[in-house]
Amino acid sequence: MGKIQKKHTKGNAKNFITRTQAIRKLQVSLQDFRKLCIFKGIYPREPRNKKKANKGSTAPVTFYYYKDIQYLQHEPLLNKFREHKTFMKKLTKYLNKGQVHQANKLNENKEVGFAGNWNLDHIVKERYPSFNEALRDLDDCLNMLFLFANLPTTDNKINNKVIKEASRLTEEWLTYVTEKRLIKKVFVSIKGVYYSCTIKGEEIRWTIPYKFPENMPTDIDFKIMLTFLEFYSTLLHFVLYKLYSDSGYVYPPTIKSYQIVAKNEDEENSKKINISKEELDAGKKVQGHVLDKELAQKALEADAEEFDQDVVEEDESLDHFEDENKNKGDELIQPSKYESPQATLFENFTFYIGREVSKDIIQFLILGCGGKAICEADYDMSEAKPDMSNVTHHICDRPVLRQRLANVVYIQPQWVFDSINKGSLEPANLYLPGEKLPPHLSPWGDAIGYDPNAQHASDDEVSASEEENEDVAEDDVEDVDEDVVAQKELEQEAQGVYKDTTNADEDKKHKKKAKSAEEEERDMKMVMMSNKQKKLYNKMQYSNKQKEDEIKKLKKRKQQLEGKRK
Amino acid sequence: MVSFKSKKISNLFKGKSGKNDVEASKSKKRSIDDIEQENDDLDEMELKGMIDVADSEEEEVVNSEGDDEEVVDEFKDIDEAEEQSVQESGTDVSSIAEEDEIKTGDEQESESDVSSLDSSNMYTPATSIDENKDKVEPGVTKTSYSDGSLRLIKPEVDPVYESDDSDFFQPKNTIGNIPIEVYDEMPHIGYDINGKRIMRPVKGKGGQSAIDKLLESIDLPAGWTGLVDKDTGGSLNLSTEELELIKKVEMAAKGEVMDEGENEYPDYVDWFSRHQEVMPLQAVPEPKRRFVPSKHEAVRVMKIVRAIREGRITTGKKVREELESGKKNYDLWGDNIDEGIDHIMQLRAPKLPPPTNEESYNPPEEYLIPDENKEEQEEFKATHGFLPTKFAALRKVPGYANTVREKFERSLDLYLAPRVRKNKIQIDPESLIPELPSPQDLRPFPIMTSNIFKGHSDKVRCLDIDPTGEWLATGSDDGTVRVWEILTGREVYKVQLFDRSDEDYDDSKIEAVAWNPDDSTGILAIALGEQLLLIVPPVFGFEKENNGKLKIENGFGFSTFGNKTQSSGVAGVDSDNEDANDQAATGKKKAPVASWNKPTVAQQEKDIQISINCHKQDSIKKIDWHKKGDYLVTVQPNSGSTAILIHQLSKHMTQSPFGKSKGIIMDCKFHPFKPQIAIATQRVIRVYDLQEQALIKKLLTGAKWLSAIQFHPRGGDHIIATSFDKKLLWHDLDLGNLPYKTLRYHTKAIRQAGFHRSLPLFATCGDDGMIHIFHNNLYMNDLLKNVLIVPLKKLKGHKVTHNVGVLDLCWHPKQPWLFSCGADGTARLWTA
Repeated sequence: MGKIQKKHTKGNAKNFITRTQAIRKLQVSLQDFRKLCIFKGIYPREPRNKKKANKGSTAPVTFYYYKDIQYLQHEPLLNKFREHKTFMKKLTKYLNKGQVHQANKLNENKEVGFAGNWNLDHIVKERYPSFNEALRDLDDCLNMLFLFANLPTTDNKINNKVIKEASRLTEEWLTYVTEKRLIKKVFVSIKGVYYSCTIKGEEIRWTIPYKFPENMPTDIDFKIMLTFLEFYSTLLHFVLYKLYSDSGYVYPPTIKSYQIVAKNEDEENSKKINISKEELDAGKKVQGHVLDKELAQKALEADAEEFDQDVVEEDESLDHFEDENKNKGDELIQPSKYESPQATLFENFTFYIGREVSKDIIQFLILGCGGKAICEADYDMSEAKPDMSNVTHHICDRPVLRQRLANVVYIQPQWVFDSINKGSLEPANLYLPGEKLPPHLSPWGDAIGYDPNAQHASDDEVSASEEENEDVAEDDVEDVDEDVVAQKELEQEAQGVYKDTTNADEDKKHKKKAKSAEEEERDMKMVMMSNKQKKLYNKMQYSNKQKEDEIKKLKKRKQQLEGKRK
Repeated sequence: MVSFKSKKISNLFKGKSGKNDVEASKSKKRSIDDIEQENDDLDEMELKGMIDVADSEEEEVVNSEGDDEEVVDEFKDIDEAEEQSVQESGTDVSSIAEEDEIKTGDEQESESDVSSLDSSNMYTPATSIDENKDKVEPGVTKTSYSDGSLRLIKPEVDPVYESDDSDFFQPKNTIGNIPIEVYDEMPHIGYDINGKRIMRPVKGKGGQSAIDKLLESIDLPAGWTGLVDKDTGGSLNLSTEELELIKKVEMAAKGEVMDEGENEYPDYVDWFSRHQEVMPLQAVPEPKRRFVPSKHEAVRVMKIVRAIREGRITTGKKVREELESGKKNYDLWGDNIDEGIDHIMQLRAPKLPPPTNEESYNPPEEYLIPDENKEEQEEFKATHGFLPTKFAALRKVPGYANTVREKFERSLDLYLAPRVRKNKIQIDPESLIPELPSPQDLRPFPIMTSNIFKGHSDKVRCLDIDPTGEWLATGSDDGTVRVWEILTGREVYKVQLFDRSDEDYDDSKIEAVAWNPDDSTGILAIALGEQLLLIVPPVFGFEKENNGKLKIENGFGFSTFGNKTQSSGVAGVDSDNEDANDQAATGKKKAPVASWNKPTVAQQEKDIQISINCHKQDSIKKIDWHKKGDYLVTVQPNSGSTAILIHQLSKHMTQSPFGKSKGIIMDCKFHPFKPQIAIATQRVIRVYDLQEQALIKKLLTGAKWLSAIQFHPRGGDHIIATSFDKKLLWHDLDLGNLPYKTLRYHTKAIRQAGFHRSLPLFATCGDDGMIHIFHNNLYMNDLLKNVLIVPLKKLKGHKVTHNVGVLDLCWHPKQPWLFSCGADGTARLWTA
């Protein structure tokens, strides 16, 4: 006979631990535990058998994986938290005594990576052992940072520094994306603007909210978001460093906001203004920039020279692959500098962006697709006048334009979005100022698979289905006599009398009959399915039907709208 | 010195009661003398030496302490006076000595001091006392003490004092160490040396004279101590000299210089004032070290500097600088290249789903929910958090109100939401439907109604087709059993077995009809209440009818020929218990379970050949003929041990094979070709071997309430069971006791199931008014293959009345035709 097993020592009971137990085990406060979980990416689990995991109790509790908690036990941050606690005790003591000087001194003399300035490098590495994994999880990171970059700095709720840091990092990210021309998709939604790019095979999608003051709900615990932000800013910092240094740029870049100086009419300078307000301090352009420290500059120059050479070599080393076969087959795909067609979409264009157009969206997109942009808003405060000679497109968002230049295409901003999503230029006449715009569709399509552009085919389907519905309604009336009729028919058939089926209605009926026969056969077959299979089948059918209904509804609505228009 | 002084003081205080009292010193001397005399240790030489010493000491005292001079002088005076007095009258002293037997504690304490001072006088008086013991001096009155001894009362001595002190001579109180309080009651406070009373000074009511009181209340007198003078009874005050003396002693005790002319509180001179003096206070030159930097400090500073340089000491500022300057700028993923593979338990958070067209600032118009559909709008908002809205231009797009909240919720999801790995099934739902041969290929099977047998006025409860396949018998709640010709649907025979309008109608119904399988007889068994009736309907022609009648009547002959085979509880096949056997063994005559009765006249009119009365108050629900047509089993569900009765037609004999009830018996069927019987209770089917009288198999159906069971007519190892809880259970007896297939397709209770005798078909009917036709292939040649069941057809035709649909069905013996009867009062023929 085997040894008698004690209850709750194996399996679920052993593998999972409740939150209270975890906190007790780690000897931290709930707040610290939360912080730790956010930093380390520890999340609750759903054990397969909750009752077993909770040692027989069915009370609702959160479970954590036991090994996760064990793993947290060895976290150096845990000790930092404890140190921070004692530090805060001292600080509050001083402050309560009114010894502000002492408190200041204590605060100034705290150690590196102490009290708020956690060093999270190792955690980033642990959570993302490879760079691709970090890129995979960059969506949430960017969303959060862009949100915070958009928050007001004057609000007391959030530290000024945090917001500045967020805006710096996001700016660096956007600079990288524009410089590498990575933008693939853009979607202007009512929530904000979605952008998508692919880096190292990972699709990264982020949202930038519109530049309006954010609505700050009062019932939200900003501590949680700030904890996330702390981790995300560390993550993005390292990702950016890697991206910049991999592309041969120096990180951190000095992003300069150029001021337009009326006196200085140096051509080069003015061109730079035209190209971008945000200029990258990349290795290629080191000469033009002055850095604060001499040493740093020397180092940069050294780096720059190396990068410079590399870049030049790379540029030249784009080989041309020739087709050596005599019989010409498919064209060989030539390597290009940029991966996507979007990268060179606006290569030869210069855009003049009207004042009413939100500059940060449009300028970013144009630069990211190789175009040049001149912003009307930039010239507001200066006497200098924009150079309109090269301008090919004028993006404006007002119904009426008084002055129009020849050779300039006037368009609404949506032209830019739709062109980028399409990968080629949209006809500009659809987007003329003041015109009713074609619908702006999501490049990720529809959730239920409805295609708003599919026109005629869908019409037929709808009509067919409607007719069917009518038929069904008729059938219901006839149902009583159906058997009799069928029997009669059969009898007639047996007698050798065949009815002419030239009539269209009859044809339809036959079709329907066939269909119903099929359905019946399926129903009969379903009898032989096991209960489990039947449930699964019904569930699938249900969800499919929901989708179909939704699509049908949309189609119907579209038809109605079209009918009204006619 | 200090000790010495203190002794002086103690002397002083002792002497304060009478400072210049010679008597006191005298008494002291006396006492010492007494001691000397008693001890007798000292010789003269020593004494003299001592005196010398004492003298020298005295001188020293005088020299060293000028203050004491007076006092000492006083003592000297006293000494001298005493000497004189001794010389003048030595007897005086001795008398005193005699009188002063009692020594005060004070005197004893100060003995040594006094001795040192007065030892010079010791010698002479002692001798004089001894010498002049018996002499009576003049002026001395002789009296006797109470004990009779001689008492001399000497006259008052009149000392002749030169000192000023003699002015305040006061009698010395001699009460010794008796507390003064003892005399509180008395008018006196003690006695003087002569034993005279010393009277208490005059006092007022409060213990003091009124004048004294007044004076005291005005001002404390100088030298006031608050003590009571023992000697006088008045207040004891210190004189100014004494106060002075105390002061000096105190100063000496503090170690201060007792300079006569010194000012104790001199004026404060502010040497180190703010005023610049002409001359320096100190003329010492400044040392060199004041002008040279400290080497020690330099070492300590350098130590700190070095630590800062090496980075061992960091300041907060530096930290901030480091952080800002970006010490973190390094390639975190620089060292390794390997792709991390997630652990199975590590679940990455799912990405947010991509935005859809609805979210667009300018969506296609069909996405907009019109304002009329308020409900739809609210529903959409609840699920998506926004409403599709169309803006004519980009500049008109407002900020989104819920951005912060959405991001917050996302972060909550990331760290608070439990994650589970869920396998999404990516299959076509149609693939779940099993692959079955098409019904088209499995023809023939009944698909439609070809004949409706109408005539019954109430629900048709049961039906059976005769073995030749020509005649259909139906039993109905209207009290009739009818026989129909199936091809024409013509009613050929009708018999009214009961009439509900009758007074004696006992609510019995025709529950079952069954043709004898022997096609040469034409016997129809009808279950009417607790009666089993055998009829030969007059539809077959004389020969067949006669044959049948004869077969029935033969049994009477059997019983008349003396075979004691009256229907009785014969020990049956019950292996589970042996009650039945026991009963049989005891030979206890039991009432017969059934009686075979010849038909009455009324019954004969109804063509009833015999009625078998099963003596139980429970109606027969099911009848099953054995295939040979001799045996017939009936089921009376609630009759306990006699629920199942096997009747033998040839012998008119009825057996109850089971000794003990197994519960409510729902159905009972003979095996098609083996001597076995299957009995269905509400949940379990038991298969018994009739020859071995043993249980073969117990099948657990899993149903709650079985309605009917059916053996497969060819493969006898298969049983189907139907249940009132909508299940059809296919049991393969070779595959254990659980059902091989459980099918649920009827929406209401299933009433009956039936196999076709030769074709691979079976059908079920139920209260939902439907009949389901199935194909079944047993693969009799291939034992490895499982039974194939293919649903073929749903037959719809019977109407559901009062929640009852199709009640019974049976197959045509040869053709793929199905007969069914229902609560709508009709029977139907279904043909291919």
